[in-house]
Amino acid sequence: MRKLSYLFMFLSALCFAMPAFAQGGAASETNWIAITAGFSMAIASAVCGLAQGKAVASATESLARNPAARPGIQFALILGLVLIESLALYTLAIIFLKVK
Amino acid sequence: MATAPPTLADTDAFYAGALDRIRNSMIGLALILFAGAWWRFGRFAALGFLLGCIIAYLNFHWLKSGVSGLTDRVTHTGKPQSGKGIIARFLLRYALLGGAAYVILTSFPGSLRGLFAGLFLPVGAIACEAVYELYAAMARGI
Repeated sequence: MRKLSYLFMFLSALCFAMPAFAQGGAASETNWIAITAGFSMAIASAVCGLAQGKAVASATESLARNPAARPGIQFALILGLVLIESLALYTLAIIFLKVK
Repeated sequence: MATAPPTLADTDAFYAGALDRIRNSMIGLALILFAGAWWRFGRFAALGFLLGCIIAYLNFHWLKSGVSGLTDRVTHTGKPQSGKGIIARFLLRYALLGGAAYVILTSFPGSLRGLFAGLFLPVGAIACEAVYELYAAMARGI
């Protein structure tokens, strides 16, 4: 697991290094909006995935402890998942509107 | 003459119907906003909005059934569903969303904004439900 985390850290460092390599040679117009959009979508997806995982984990733990509270927990979980997903959709919509 | 305060059963029944009210709000909002979009932005934007609403409705329905299957498995109640089926439904939602967005983007780019507006239908319906629950809390004390 630790090796895997080191691998992901190395790959993420490479993502930062790639634009630096591309800057040599003739002056080119860098599309910062597209780069920023890609990073923002990646960050939004990652954080929304983490949040959904946390919400589902907490809900299943609560259900296992107290099955009688199922209706309330299920309702809160559905609302939470919908609202978390909508945050990723906001990012996607803004990216589609801004990046040509 | 003062009315009797609501009992715990009344409160439970009120909140148990919230998901059905949200679903009905989604249908009502979709129809009203579709007509408004047709009148204000034209046919293509309105059809894109309607497609977004349909995707959002299906997305919400499958999310609800997926969560229901998950809670059935955790609490060992109801009809047991396979874990693969639950996961497939979760993944199918994203496939549907991506496929529809791709088709709209390549075929009717003018409808893309309408599609994105339609995808936010559940958020609008949840906002309507929040306003209704606030009204019920203030007016009826639920």
